[in-house]
Amino acid sequence: MSPQTRTVGSSNPEYVNARVRARRAALFDEEEYRKLVRMSPSEIARFMEESEYETEINALGSRHSGVDLIEYALHANLAKHFDDLLRWAEGSLYEFIANYLRKFDAWNVKTIVRGVYAGADEETIESDLIRAGEFSDRELDRLLDARSIEEIVEQLSGTIFEEPLEDAFADYEETDTLVPLENALDRTYYEHILDNVGSVSGEPDDPITRYNEFLQAEIDFRNARNALRLARTGADIDPGEYFIEGGALFNRREMSGLVANREELLTRIEESTYGDRLDEALEELRDAESLIAFEHALDIALSAYADRLANRYPMTIASVLSYILAKEREVDNIRAIARGREAGLSEEEITEELVIL
Amino acid sequence: MAKDVKPTRKNLMAIEDRIDLSERGHDTLEKKRDGLIMEFMDILDQAKDVRSDLDSDYERAQRTLDMARAMEGDVAIRGAAEALKEHPEITLQSKNIMGVVVPQIESTRVKKGLDQRGYGVLGSSARIDEAADAYEELLETIILVAEVETAMKKMLDEIETTKRRVNALEFTLLPTLYENKEFIEQKLEEQEREEIFRMKKIKDKKEREEEEAEDEPDVTEGAPIPADD
Repeated sequence: MSPQTRTVGSSNPEYVNARVRARRAALFDEEEYRKLVRMSPSEIARFMEESEYETEINALGSRHSGVDLIEYALHANLAKHFDDLLRWAEGSLYEFIANYLRKFDAWNVKTIVRGVYAGADEETIESDLIRAGEFSDRELDRLLDARSIEEIVEQLSGTIFEEPLEDAFADYEETDTLVPLENALDRTYYEHILDNVGSVSGEPDDPITRYNEFLQAEIDFRNARNALRLARTGADIDPGEYFIEGGALFNRREMSGLVANREELLTRIEESTYGDRLDEALEELRDAESLIAFEHALDIALSAYADRLANRYPMTIASVLSYILAKEREVDNIRAIARGREAGLSEEEITEELVIL
Repeated sequence: MAKDVKPTRKNLMAIEDRIDLSERGHDTLEKKRDGLIMEFMDILDQAKDVRSDLDSDYERAQRTLDMARAMEGDVAIRGAAEALKEHPEITLQSKNIMGVVVPQIESTRVKKGLDQRGYGVLGSSARIDEAADAYEELLETIILVAEVETAMKKMLDEIETTKRRVNALEFTLLPTLYENKEFIEQKLEEQEREEIFRMKKIKDKKEREEEEAEDEPDVTEGAPIPADD
């Protein structure tokens, strides 16, 4: 298996940005969320049938129903939009976008590995895939045909996941748990996110510098939430194993020390460049044990940062990145509303969980 | 019932022995019943507490799962659940409460660390952790509820059985034995009275005969004694 090669030739951010702007304008706004929150799951499905999601709802309507139909339609639509981005982009822009969308490749490989591990049938595994990454349908189908985890690892040779997965496979065989494989997939995605970013000038107005900062922030936020989760569990785990390289908040050795002292960890985040944006969430985290609100605040901060970058550098990769996050946010919000309504959550409870910027 | 009993002294002694044994058995069973009820009341309080914990734990677990499904998606939650192969183990032992054998359930591997749940830590979220945490706690409470409620049911069955035995002794066996004892005693007294009366009659008869014999003239007095041959 080999990654698609679209890096030859010059980049075309103007064209992609123009297309992305049109797509972004079609995303659901606050008013539409307000309407959705008051609807039942079937009404939401009908509302989606008359919106951007029409094709997916109609295509999947015969196989799924209720909130499952909504969730699968959201995934299919997300995949279609992100696939378009990869289709439009050329040169280094393609590389930037592909790097970022490889999270869906990692997701798909994890889904297939979990399916094979649990003995699920191919059709069930296939329906859970989000075909929004760089892997083509043919490559994903070949992975789906694999009968064992070893075969999946072999199929991934030639991709960024090859080497880390081969290393993790030995651990998997020893422990018979998927943790090493899943961690290897996620770590590989994050550690390759900064590939091909190019030279960072450090100038405040340099878009590449800002883009690099955004990706670093994403890695830092991921490290921060994982450090807090590890601090909370209290289990005898080496925090260094869960550290992702590439961030600026702390290094591997520092993280190991900070996990042992939660208060120090919170102070470190507070005093970092992210402190101002996470002030309230950190305060809440100190009062309550739950990390959920903090994670929610991290998601909002990251999305807001991407939007700010997009507004400031409209003709760069920042606009595409901001659109990717906005589209993911829309999918998350609609799913949260539909699942929340299904579970009987109140309008206020659902609204609190939505990320609307 | 009493008519079936032969009114003999031997039977009376046997019945008296049975009454003695039954009364002692009745006292012991009554004490056992009272003890069981006291133990049961303690277990009942415990059962009420764990049942209320179960309700709140279930509500919390369901809520965290609903929130996780809403925010992470059903596919992600299902995937995380599929990554877990190692199931909790339960060992059954037993303990004795006042002669009642109740189960003692020991569970292992219910509470898991972040690295033991099967799903990768790097790509998952605190919502999944909290749903897993809440369900692990729920499972522990379910096991505790199973232990306490089974003990409670077994105690209740034993109390019922003991109560039936106490009642059977108190309202059926002992009254019958008392009735039989009374019947035999009455019969024996009656026999004794008859015997006395009979003896009296015999004595009177004997006395009468003696008196008659004294009153009769001695015809043989002064008469020649005939020769034997």
